[in-house]
Amino acid sequence: MSTNQSPQSNVKKWRISRRGFLIGLGATAAVAVGIPLGLPAARRTIANYLASNDPFGGIAAPPTTWFEVTADNRVRFFSPKVEMGQGVHTAFAQIAAEELEVAWQQLEVVQASTAKGPGDAFGTANSNSVSNNFAPIREAAATLREMLRQEAANQLGVPAASLTVAAGRFTATDDPAKTATYGEIVANAAVDSWEVPKEPPTLKPISEFRYVGQSIPRVDFESKIVGEAQFGYDMRLPNMLYGAVARPNTIEGKLTRAAEGEAASGPGVVTVVAQDDFAGVAAESRQQAYAGVAKMELEWEDGRLWQQSELDEIVTVGNGTRVVIQDEGQVDDLLAGDVLTAEFRTPLAAHAHLEPPAALVDVQADKATAWVSTQAAEVVQGTLAKILGMNKDQVEVIPTYLGGGFGRKLDLEAAHEAARLSQAAGRPVHVGWTRTEDMRYGNFRPSTHHVLRGKLDGNGRIQALQHEMASGDVFFGFIPGIAGAFVGADFGAYRGARLEYDSIPNRQMVSYRTPLPVPTGFWRGLGLLAATFAIESFMDDLAHTASIDPLQFRLNQLSQSGTGGRFRRALETVAEMANWGGSLPDGHAHGLAINIDARTVVAQIAEVSLEADQIRVHNVYCAMDPGLVINPDGAIAQAQGCIVMGLSSTLLEEIRVKDGVIEAANFDGYPMLRLKETPELHVQLLQSGEAPFGIGEPPIGPIAAAVGNAIFALTGQRLTRLPLRLG
Amino acid sequence: MKLRINGTEYDVAEEPPRTLLWVLHDELGLIGTKYGCGVGICGICTVQIDGEAVRSCVTPLSKVEGEIRTIEGLATVADDGTRVLHPVQQAFLEDQVPQCGWCMSGQMMAAAAFLEQNPTPSEEEIIDAMNRVYCRCGCYHRIKGAVAKAAEQMAVGEGTAV
Repeated sequence: MSTNQSPQSNVKKWRISRRGFLIGLGATAAVAVGIPLGLPAARRTIANYLASNDPFGGIAAPPTTWFEVTADNRVRFFSPKVEMGQGVHTAFAQIAAEELEVAWQQLEVVQASTAKGPGDAFGTANSNSVSNNFAPIREAAATLREMLRQEAANQLGVPAASLTVAAGRFTATDDPAKTATYGEIVANAAVDSWEVPKEPPTLKPISEFRYVGQSIPRVDFESKIVGEAQFGYDMRLPNMLYGAVARPNTIEGKLTRAAEGEAASGPGVVTVVAQDDFAGVAAESRQQAYAGVAKMELEWEDGRLWQQSELDEIVTVGNGTRVVIQDEGQVDDLLAGDVLTAEFRTPLAAHAHLEPPAALVDVQADKATAWVSTQAAEVVQGTLAKILGMNKDQVEVIPTYLGGGFGRKLDLEAAHEAARLSQAAGRPVHVGWTRTEDMRYGNFRPSTHHVLRGKLDGNGRIQALQHEMASGDVFFGFIPGIAGAFVGADFGAYRGARLEYDSIPNRQMVSYRTPLPVPTGFWRGLGLLAATFAIESFMDDLAHTASIDPLQFRLNQLSQSGTGGRFRRALETVAEMANWGGSLPDGHAHGLAINIDARTVVAQIAEVSLEADQIRVHNVYCAMDPGLVINPDGAIAQAQGCIVMGLSSTLLEEIRVKDGVIEAANFDGYPMLRLKETPELHVQLLQSGEAPFGIGEPPIGPIAAAVGNAIFALTGQRLTRLPLRLG
Repeated sequence: MKLRINGTEYDVAEEPPRTLLWVLHDELGLIGTKYGCGVGICGICTVQIDGEAVRSCVTPLSKVEGEIRTIEGLATVADDGTRVLHPVQQAFLEDQVPQCGWCMSGQMMAAAAFLEQNPTPSEEEIIDAMNRVYCRCGCYHRIKGAVAKAAEQMAVGEGTAV
């Protein structure tokens, strides 16, 4: 039911009678998190905007850009968000079907492009596709239904109010013979412009939902099960070529001279591009393209040959730009003397999506079309226009299915490279990176360093708590102009770093921005996994010092309502799921951790043992409160996936630099979690409220601390670095 | 040279030397077989040759002998033209195993070959067999369950039309 965009369709096009009409947005106001203090008011407003969980709000677009009705009474829904495994096409379809009043099989999800469907400047990121667009999609669907109702009334000669609607068909209440399907209404419409109702339609109450809240099977799976789904790496066109590009030897390496050399004489080579900053080959096959690049005459400047220890030293609390992000109470005074303190470190990490970056670009004289495995089609469109010397509207970027994204596939270099080669060759060019290119020339989750300090009162309560966090950049690598000028701290880097236990009267979080020579950026959850590892490990240290059970100790630091209440509910639920405090097999122990991210609260308990000094995780229990759940099985799948990916970082993953080179060149140098190490996963959803929150990232936060805390319970040894290794 | 793939014969050039993966994916357009690492570690390029699971990214074309089966040939077609999913595909669909789907051809081709050789596997045997194929979205928990379910379905000889 989900398809890539077809080049043409026999659809009756909708036109909007009033130019510029936008659906009224009913989205909830942005919840500000992590606003740097001490900024001038205007700067703070922008910082607030950028740091909120939904910085660009929902997508505002008329219903006619979201939907097309076809004469055979089907409705096409154009999803501005891309499908990279998170199930957004299915969730959006459920939300749309609810107000459209169509049968599930009448709805088809089509991926929007930069030329077709609602625009999306923000991209698919930040766990906010559903939370930001729940209201806009419902309103667009309801508006479309009411536009059809009015036209049906005109065609059938009955009052609009007398029409009932079900399964894409209007029927007059007092004369069932007077009936018309959506398809018939559109096919028979005499007008080619439709009036958009002035008032937003009334939306049905949640109690009447039929699709939202159901575990409806994913719309993209049938094509994925039989191998027909097209990802960026799979895109093909007649007469296409394959491209390869020269890469530096080192992370700071720069091309200083490029000449064709013998490349053009290589078998299958069609075009050789040798420019100041770019050297590449387009050939009839991938292998011929890479062989061609190897025959070019290239000179490089290696730059500094960085060592891992130097990178670790950069990312250290006290270095770089210091910005106070959270400051409540009198932390500085209370933590002046002898207090509990601990330090934690997390390493650079790779995204390692199994589909490496890939794009097919067809550059013609006056236009370009690009099929790209990207989370940010409009960003790619802007860059391609610049590279090609075209206007943006001459460049169409069509996102494909993504074989994983995890924050890596934004302004995808493979698309830039394919565009340059296609422009030179005059033929479509596909560039698909090798695994080694992906390992060495992408960007990475930044390494972090954390210093925590805390002071207990005599009654098992934390009087003051401070979290200082140094990190390589996340946002700054991508939008240095905006972020650098207004914020000073990288709000991606310190995501999850605030101290959320709301009964602690004195709380402070301080960010140190410490850019690295290695490119760093967005990685699922951004700073969340690192920050939660540090904070929740330290909470366990404090509980131990206070001689209080770690669950009870956490409850002691929480109020009864608001975030505190939601934390309590998640903690109590997960404790019950795991039988916290109950008996376990000999040599097993439980560890607990919790976080809030994208407004979703997630608590996890890991059951751990040691087998010949190897950490073995047997069970992970997860209680998640993501607000209103659109698709329970999909939400559970996201939690399961986050736990596995987070556990992989907890136990195995680490990117290291040696002599200026990323050491890992393939999976043999970058072990990741596999089936054998995967624990049994137990996920329970705690629904709350009437608005959906984020799901794709929040559950990745607690797992590292949960495992570390279990090891502490088992051995008394506090592990302070990821990946966890017993000393 | 001739290749038999999913019951169809294809003519492909013997030269230059290259691996089966790129012949399938780029030259023949059988895009269901995916690239992951190129060195035989991740297993997502797995296809079957005479029923054996092989990693197409490290299989030289010159060494290919026998009938190749890819994900496009895992389902069969009934007399009335409808597609009948292999029990492994059916179980992966029922259990909603995939997330992004990129590794799933390799997972299912490996699982189908494994169940042919071991129709009544224990949980440990499933883990051992499927441990060789990576999944970055972390669908392992569901993969294990779906392979066990497929084994049960194969035992009663069911296939399902779609």
